[in-house]
Amino acid sequence: MADVHVPSSLDEVFRLLSDEPSATLFAGGTDVMVRSSPDMRERGPFLCLERVEELRGIHGSATEVRIGAATTLSEVIASPVIADLFPLLREALRHVGAPAVRNMGTLGGNICTASPAGDSLPPLYILGAEVELRSLKGRRRMPIDAFITGPGRTQLEEGEVLCAVVIGKEQGFNFHHFEKVGQRKAMAISVASLAFGAETRRDGTIVKARCAFGSVAPTVFTSRLLNDTFAGNTLNTAVLDRAVAIIREGVSPISDIRASMEYRRQVAGNLVMRLEGAGKDR
Amino acid sequence: MREDGRHFLQGPRLDAFSKVTGRERYAADEYPGEFLWAGAKRAFVPHARLLAVHTDRAAAHPGVVRVLTSLDIAGSNRLGIVRNHQPVLVDETIRHAGDAVALVVAESRETLREALELVTFDHEPLPGVFDPEQALKEGVPRIHGDNEEGNLMRAVRVRRGDPDGAFRGCDVVVEGVFETPRQEHACLETEAGWARVDEAGVLVVVASTQTPYRDRKEIAAALGLDVNRVRVIAPYLGGAFGGKDGITVQCLVGLAALSAGGVSVKMWWDRRESFLASMKRLPARMHYRLGAKKDGTFEALSCRLYYDAGPYAGLAGEIMAMGVEHAGSAYRIPNVNIEGYCVYTNNALGGPFRGFGVPQSTAGMEQVVDMAAEKLGMDPLELRRVNALGTGDRNCVGVELKYSTGFSECVDRLADHPLWKEREAWKASAPPWKKRGCGVGCMAHAIGYPALIPDEANARVELTESGTIRVYSGVSDMGQGNAGTYLRIAGEILNQDPATMEVIQPDTDHGLPSGTSSASRTTYTFGNAVIRAARSLKEVILRSGARCLEVEDIDSLELVPGAVRIKGSGRKAALRDVAALIDAVDRSCKGYFRTPYDESTLGIMYLGAHVLFSFGAHLARIEVDTLTGRIDVVDYVAVTDAGRVLNRAQYDQQVQGSIAQGIGYALMEDYVMKDGRHETGDLATYIIPTSLDVPDMVSIAVETDETTGPFGMKGIGEVVISGCVPAIANAFHDACGVRITRVPLTPERVLSALAGQGGKE
Repeated sequence: MADVHVPSSLDEVFRLLSDEPSATLFAGGTDVMVRSSPDMRERGPFLCLERVEELRGIHGSATEVRIGAATTLSEVIASPVIADLFPLLREALRHVGAPAVRNMGTLGGNICTASPAGDSLPPLYILGAEVELRSLKGRRRMPIDAFITGPGRTQLEEGEVLCAVVIGKEQGFNFHHFEKVGQRKAMAISVASLAFGAETRRDGTIVKARCAFGSVAPTVFTSRLLNDTFAGNTLNTAVLDRAVAIIREGVSPISDIRASMEYRRQVAGNLVMRLEGAGKDR
Repeated sequence: MREDGRHFLQGPRLDAFSKVTGRERYAADEYPGEFLWAGAKRAFVPHARLLAVHTDRAAAHPGVVRVLTSLDIAGSNRLGIVRNHQPVLVDETIRHAGDAVALVVAESRETLREALELVTFDHEPLPGVFDPEQALKEGVPRIHGDNEEGNLMRAVRVRRGDPDGAFRGCDVVVEGVFETPRQEHACLETEAGWARVDEAGVLVVVASTQTPYRDRKEIAAALGLDVNRVRVIAPYLGGAFGGKDGITVQCLVGLAALSAGGVSVKMWWDRRESFLASMKRLPARMHYRLGAKKDGTFEALSCRLYYDAGPYAGLAGEIMAMGVEHAGSAYRIPNVNIEGYCVYTNNALGGPFRGFGVPQSTAGMEQVVDMAAEKLGMDPLELRRVNALGTGDRNCVGVELKYSTGFSECVDRLADHPLWKEREAWKASAPPWKKRGCGVGCMAHAIGYPALIPDEANARVELTESGTIRVYSGVSDMGQGNAGTYLRIAGEILNQDPATMEVIQPDTDHGLPSGTSSASRTTYTFGNAVIRAARSLKEVILRSGARCLEVEDIDSLELVPGAVRIKGSGRKAALRDVAALIDAVDRSCKGYFRTPYDESTLGIMYLGAHVLFSFGAHLARIEVDTLTGRIDVVDYVAVTDAGRVLNRAQYDQQVQGSIAQGIGYALMEDYVMKDGRHETGDLATYIIPTSLDVPDMVSIAVETDETTGPFGMKGIGEVVISGCVPAIANAFHDACGVRITRVPLTPERVLSALAGQGGKE
């Protein structure tokens, strides 16, 4: 069997990492375990992050909320702070896998897997989340959209650990929407997903909006042009038709066993149609 | 207690506690002392001539005990039930990606995995055959060179009346081509078992199998053993659904044990190997044409059914024949021409799966029935009622129904259900972007084997020395709970609490041959045998009780839990004392039953036809999302005539399990193969429903009294699954006005069907 290390502090993590730079970081294992099967030895040794106290929990400052990377998805969902400030993130995480997966899987793990279908990613893009990376060399922060560079690819360097996700408290959204299309209602890998956050007036006019799509491009698809299309308008048919055109033009999906490129492109556009008439009286 | 006094039949299933606490042990759970692991080297090529197998490197690997090839097999190295042509280990030709070319026996699972990588083989690729209709054309490579009819494994044709003339006289004729997918059983327990040669030189195989008695013969023939030197034991199975109706690990693990010098050898396929090497429900393409009079009376049916068998016969031809027999669902149709073709391909193995060929043809028939209703302007349930089979009618292949036939009542009960009657209001209140539809699907399903194959059971019920009751089951319990039902039946006859009784799972050494755990027969056939055995034992017990209690007349005695009692008196003798007065051989009673059959049906079709059927009528209410194409099954009603209900909980579990599996079949399950490759080789890509994908289900029992059945019952295990595809497909047409003739109805197919209508979506 492969070596499995279960450090309890970040210092220990860094020490182990400098001894074994090729170790696989493991935080919940809901992706790593599946990928490594059947032969775990080829991917070992494993360095488990779940018991590192500095990586756990949700803590707020005056302006930011810091979510430890090894916080489980269930813990994020259950957090009153998250429910209050970032309901969009909570809603998206509720669509990950099933309870057993959410109890083991972690937010940091979902980010570092960097799957085009990662369900936490579209809301984190919309919320302007930043990731905090640490190594023996020090600490750095970068926006999540800079951190993820492609399918399964991130800016994480050797010896470096994603320690936390930091989200600004002031988002200004009073309307949010999340929809995931999978092949079934749970235990599904996203075929396409939409996260949408907006600040609206009572009459439904959008002050500002942000849109992010999962599973329709190598990384989360966002578009300033798309966001700007909504500003100053209500979610009416004409605006949504323009949005659909921008989306279908902008996404670059693939075909795989779950869905074809054509379907993903079609549905990515369709998903915003669900917003028609929404955002009023809020 | 029910009015009729049957109280030991009811209650929660007796294996529930051991199942939910994990105490029940499946074959996969057994680690028999010091043991070795066996594993198969799979071909991963769909069609090739095998030139050489190189085992030296694997054999030299530390921890490897043996590496075996076809050359190490002393017997025929051929498996089969009707045709023996499937190699245990390939000797000449690889015919599908899951074929095994070598067998490695090793000390640990890790070593086994490494050694399997070290086995290599040389092969010469042969052109593959992957489409069953193409496979029948001239010039296509033959999968079995010795098969006179090319790639046609078997054809079954039934012609009655004058279909051509009848079609000309019809007011309405509808037709369509329908396709159903390859479906994987996806059992909780993947294929597993262990074997060893015991001190007496007998090969003992403990396996997750529905068919211990048939396996015994197949193992003996393939491995070259006397059948009396093979013993097969079938513990509780962690699911099977037909997927373990035959040989999976048995011969491989048996072969390994023969060269392991008395040491036990275990084999347990992981999920990927299970998907690669196991049988699947046969995909089908069905050309249907139905003709009716203006008043809705069906006059003529013509259909051609193509079933993709995969590379070996197995039971594929018999599955197709069942599809033919049920091609007309549950209706009177005087003129028919039904043709069924079962075709060899280099795709995955085809084999039994709950429904045994009937879900395919029912999907076709019940959709053309709806098309006829639309063209006639008739209510779809009314059209079904008009043509419903009743007692004394002849079914589509011409068999007169002489046994219980509660189909009309099923239709009537469904027509009366609020979810059907109030459907228009429900449809009209669909939320934005949703379309709602209601569809029905009806079905019949035969009980037991066709006429030519004796459907027999031999039960043994015993009063043990300690005064308890023991039932020797001859039919595997693959999860349906039949073992507990046998206890309940014996308990009912003997007035003993089933919780105090014991059931012995099938073992070819202890039990008596009783056929397979399949064909909706496990409780019907074996239960009848249990009743007979228990009645004999009751008499033995009462006679001995009379001696114990010193009374002359056994009619003055009654059995009560744990004792024999003099009626109307408190005097009783404990069963332990009663048992002490009986010779050991007499404490064990046998009971025999053979399911009704009709020899005159032998001329109708291959193997003859069935005479006894369960029936059903289903309603699915669905909501279609026009933005994503996703279908939600919102409500489901299953009305079933499976005779009297022995145990309501277990009856409903069969109904619910079938619906869940049927919803998967209708909406998402599709085992995709491309050029013989398995494209959905694991549970991440082969999608089965979760609990959230299955709605609350209404199960209504139309309790006809089947006089030949144990306490009036008929089989409930299979009939229900055939209704789901047509009910959901018809509901989709009702919702959207367009028909998708190919299931599963994936979101992608739905969106493209809606786009084809010219709608905005």
